[in-house]
Amino acid sequence: MKPEMSVIDAFYAELQYAVFSVLCEGESQVFTCLVTPPAWLQQFAPAITLGETGNPADDLPYLDNFLVDAAVFWQSQAVGKFASGPWVERDAEGGEWPLEAIALNVQGERLLQIKHLGDDFNRQRRQLQTARENLLTQEQLELEVLSRTRQIKLREAEIALRLVTAASFRDEETGSHIRRIGLYAAEMGRALGWSQARIEDITLAAPMHDLGKIGISDKILLKPDKLTPGEFEIMKRHAEIGAEMLGDSGISMLDCAAEIAGCHHEKWNGEGYPRGLKGLDIPEAARIVAITDVYDALSHKRVYKKSFSEQETFDLMDEMAGEHLDPNLYQVFLSIIEKIRVIRARNPD
Amino acid sequence: MLQKKICLVGAFSVGKTSLVKRFVESMFSDKYLTTVGVKVDKKVLSVEGNEIKLMIWDLEGEDDYCKINNSYLRGAAGYILVVDGMRPQTLVTALAIHESSQALLGQIPAIVAMNKADLRDSWLVSEADLQATEAILPVLYTSAKSGDNVEVLFGNLALSMLKAK
Repeated sequence: MKPEMSVIDAFYAELQYAVFSVLCEGESQVFTCLVTPPAWLQQFAPAITLGETGNPADDLPYLDNFLVDAAVFWQSQAVGKFASGPWVERDAEGGEWPLEAIALNVQGERLLQIKHLGDDFNRQRRQLQTARENLLTQEQLELEVLSRTRQIKLREAEIALRLVTAASFRDEETGSHIRRIGLYAAEMGRALGWSQARIEDITLAAPMHDLGKIGISDKILLKPDKLTPGEFEIMKRHAEIGAEMLGDSGISMLDCAAEIAGCHHEKWNGEGYPRGLKGLDIPEAARIVAITDVYDALSHKRVYKKSFSEQETFDLMDEMAGEHLDPNLYQVFLSIIEKIRVIRARNPD
Repeated sequence: MLQKKICLVGAFSVGKTSLVKRFVESMFSDKYLTTVGVKVDKKVLSVEGNEIKLMIWDLEGEDDYCKINNSYLRGAAGYILVVDGMRPQTLVTALAIHESSQALLGQIPAIVAMNKADLRDSWLVSEADLQATEAILPVLYTSAKSGDNVEVLFGNLALSMLKAK
């Protein structure tokens, strides 16, 4: 052996490298170990010795996978190196050995280097460990915020339900009607691509559209006969009363409820009340509830009217579209009628 | 003896390495030690009279900065998607990995390990999401800590691989 080789050999041994020359013969590769294998390699691949041929992948299964990609790199004759990334081999005693393989094209020679990563690996792992522990902490904080937000939403829902229940004691509206209005409105929000938060808001807010009726006297609210023009003017005030009761809270769900309560009797053609708003000046949530409220009222029996068939309901609503109801939103409503029917069937009076 | 490569995949810190450690060494440690790259272990199983040597590839978990190196999955005969029941996002990650693995490997056997089942009272993955997952993949509720269902997990995957061959 030339003295220069011994120096290189000693250098490799000190660096904890094993180096192989690679000869590609068709599909297979022949590896010749160019250095005295370091001790750590010998415990995994005892058959590998200096100057002998043998495939290190026979004893290191990870290499088998890497050599597929390495073969492509060697054949490309690209100058430089192609690394496997770190992997960990476990010895018979359970000790862990972080290794990395590198394919090299050097002056026409194909080489495979296997190295023990040692402290570099531990440093990399410590950095990654810290980064991932931080990510875990961040995730836990986000989950905690999510959980608290859910609790607040549940409380909002409970308060809304009790408010609506209190109001329903005073008039003929059924609990099922109130529930359906919220669910229909939510489906409309979904069809319109609203955010989940906004959908949750309208689900709770829509049932509160008539909350202002609390402020109307029993004499008018429960009058079995037709209201006089004067009484009707008083009755109309329930929209403003509802908006006032629910407004200015700074809570998005109640803000939505105030908008709906105040505007659900506005008409697309501007002939509604209380403000005579027209077209898109009427808040979208209120235009949605106007449609769902009319649909539900027509298609269900009330003390003052029989229930209409679905066809009769649509005939009437077709006439109202563009006059009373937003014609575009009415088309959206028709496009989700199957979902509306399911809600109706699941929530009978 | 039959030899099969299987991979454990999923988000970081879901318990992939702990499941392997429990299965291969019957040991568990509460300490979280992140995996860098790949760890390869071996274990011989007897499944319905067949000896099968599992080459278990425990892959570094996915996070915001690190995605699975697809070449690691090459040659796998099956894989385990590991999910932490206390972290809903890890189910989303597992299902995304399942989708990309299918595109790469085709329809090979796969099982979801809903891990940390010993802490089930604290789980945040919803019942609806669990049911939706069970509709598309076999799901086992595992605990590397208590050992619950760990042998069953690897045994079922080995059996599926034998039937699929």
